[in-house]
Amino acid sequence: MGTTLNGSAAVASPASRGRRRSKRSPLTRGQNLFGWIFVSPALAVLVIFLVLPIILALYISFTDWSGITSPFSHLVHWVGFQNYRTILTEPGLGQSNFGTAVRNNFYYVITVVPIQTALSLWLAILVNNKFLKGKGLFRTAFYFPSVTSSIAITTVFIFLFSTTGVVNRILGFFGINGPNWLYDQNGVITTILAALGVHNAPSWSNFQVLGVSLWGWLSGPSFGMCVIIILAIWTTSGTFMLFFLAALQNVSEEVEEASEIDGASPWQRFRHVTLPMLRPVVILVATLGFIGTWQVFDQSYLTGPNNPTMVTPAFLAYQVSFSDFAFGEGAAIAFILFAFIVLLTLLQRKFVREDLTK
Amino acid sequence: MRKRNRIGVLALGVSLATAVVGLSSGAIASAATGGARQPAAVGSVRLTGATKGVTLNVMIATSGAAETAAVKKETSAWAAATGNTVNVETPANQTESLDEGFAGGSPPDIFYLSANQIETFAKQGDLLPYASSIDKPSAFYSTLVKADTYNHTWYCVPKDFSNLALEINTTMWKAAGLTNADIPTTWAKLVYAAQKLTSGKVVGLDVGNTIDRLGAFMAENGGSYMNKAGTGFAFNSPQNVAALNWFVKYDKAGIFKLNSQQGAGWAGQAFGEGEAAMATEGNWIIGGMASYPKIKWMAVPMPAGPTGIKGTLTFTDCWGIAAQTKYSKAAANLVNYLSSPAVETYNAKAFGPLPPRPAVAAAYAKANPIMSAFVAGTPYAMPQVETVGWSTVQGAFDGQVTNMANGSVSPSTLLNQLQTNAQALLAP
Repeated sequence: MGTTLNGSAAVASPASRGRRRSKRSPLTRGQNLFGWIFVSPALAVLVIFLVLPIILALYISFTDWSGITSPFSHLVHWVGFQNYRTILTEPGLGQSNFGTAVRNNFYYVITVVPIQTALSLWLAILVNNKFLKGKGLFRTAFYFPSVTSSIAITTVFIFLFSTTGVVNRILGFFGINGPNWLYDQNGVITTILAALGVHNAPSWSNFQVLGVSLWGWLSGPSFGMCVIIILAIWTTSGTFMLFFLAALQNVSEEVEEASEIDGASPWQRFRHVTLPMLRPVVILVATLGFIGTWQVFDQSYLTGPNNPTMVTPAFLAYQVSFSDFAFGEGAAIAFILFAFIVLLTLLQRKFVREDLTK
Repeated sequence: MRKRNRIGVLALGVSLATAVVGLSSGAIASAATGGARQPAAVGSVRLTGATKGVTLNVMIATSGAAETAAVKKETSAWAAATGNTVNVETPANQTESLDEGFAGGSPPDIFYLSANQIETFAKQGDLLPYASSIDKPSAFYSTLVKADTYNHTWYCVPKDFSNLALEINTTMWKAAGLTNADIPTTWAKLVYAAQKLTSGKVVGLDVGNTIDRLGAFMAENGGSYMNKAGTGFAFNSPQNVAALNWFVKYDKAGIFKLNSQQGAGWAGQAFGEGEAAMATEGNWIIGGMASYPKIKWMAVPMPAGPTGIKGTLTFTDCWGIAAQTKYSKAAANLVNYLSSPAVETYNAKAFGPLPPRPAVAAAYAKANPIMSAFVAGTPYAMPQVETVGWSTVQGAFDGQVTNMANGSVSPSTLLNQLQTNAQALLAP
């Protein structure tokens, strides 16, 4: 135990490392060596299964590898940034498919993240109530969707939302003619506009970004995407409820009682006492939500082939690779997505940190 | 990729699993010894390696238990007769497993290959062009041999094929007062029958929302995917545009529908659930219909277009041999046996694929009349596009087909887009 602690301290701080090196004794040198030996299995696993594949994938994104030869065979050519150009700048199917996928996922992210964060916080507060009976049951019930296979849940949702499924039957009971959920490609916003009498796209909206017109970008999530959004909120809020629950249990009762004695209403108590104390967890949940929602794959895998408005970049990368044998382009999509997530997360953290200094 | 439906294929496997029991293993064993003759090396391919005591790996994209059992039975009969060992692998997703095998340098020796992937694999030097070395190469349908040919080289031996035909719900047919004289042999008759059959929630004709079904109407209207010289695509030809306009016209009239408009996973589902009186699927629907035993139905060849042109679409798989195999001679021997008339007939009975030799297919269709409608289209059936990258281009078209039927995009716009996207594949 002492060995590893010393070893890691030496690695962590340059100052201490310098001091140690100057008067390095045979004993501490041995400790360093043993430290490395002890961490080497974990390190080897990380390098072999994480670092090397990432480097290989980065290399592949600059080649025309077909996936059916060795990536180092003479048939694989270095194509520079061609795959990135196909996706980002050259008009064509590669660009418009990627643009559509980003549009689809964008609406998914901006609806899922706020709703799931608010819902999971609300659920956590509910099941944290001292006076609630059968807490265990409720906590299990809310958490259950999170531990169920997402493929199984999606399949059930496909049945629920089919044209003659339960959802449309219920809507029909109230005299509403439900949409053809899974195949409907119309955006929610365009549908509302159409109901208000706006049928044709104004001319300014023909301007294309990533091969998709502005009208396309503004059309909102399709009805099909709404199904996935509902599904995602339902399944993931249980996980994040646990995060909030753990944090809520750290909020000491004395503080709450003190605020009560000071005459704070339940809302004021929540807004000005509980929520500020949960702030780090809110940031964590939002960040994890942001990262996770840009990587939707399972739901898209089951529904995407039937409806282009349900394809996400993660699924597109898979599809391009495995059905067109364009692994270079697939890897490029994955890296653009990676850069995108890093950028957005940094922006989010910057935004949140500035807020903190107020 | 062959557009078989997962659910349908599963049902096919389950329903036919019992059929395998009936086989006399003697017939297979004797065929195995007969098929083990050494085919001579032909053309530029030299078949090498030992032919005894070797282990061959065969990877199949199985449609279910019946197919797996049949292939295992046949390969072990061959293995026993020739003193070799054969492992049959049945991965859940064969394309992915095949990719992994080739990328890792250890592909299976023999594998199923969809004809539209031949170009992709051949370009990478992964395919052994062994096909012309097998027994009686001229006994196969020339259309299938053509589909398995890339750059003037016949790469792999056809395994089986499927054609589209018109399926009719006979109960609804009689209830609508239609007779044998009304069987749709032309588009006019198809429209007439569909009008008669449409009532309430039942639609006259359900068609799959993909070019792999709608393409049949293009062919019947005198159109095609490729131009006459075969040098480029011709998706936006007047014939193709007119064919889709014709479909959309009757879709709007409510007598034709796409499976997506009916909320069905494929046309066979709408047909099986009694929401459509007719469908245009391939012979895989026979397995799919096993899930709907109450539906009485028949199959007839696809109708001819307005100028009397017959057309349908064909989908075919072949036996690929990896160029990397150490035992190409033994592998070619095994394929020779697996594609012998006896085994093809047995397979057709066991799990329903059409035998790729005219003589065998004719005999099979005679014994199973429902098959004759599917076999009938072979001489004029149009194959799938085989160009590398086609899958994404087709996906973009198929994804818009429902919008086309709903009227939010016109057939000519869609076919022009398809033409542009497909032509881009040919650009160097």
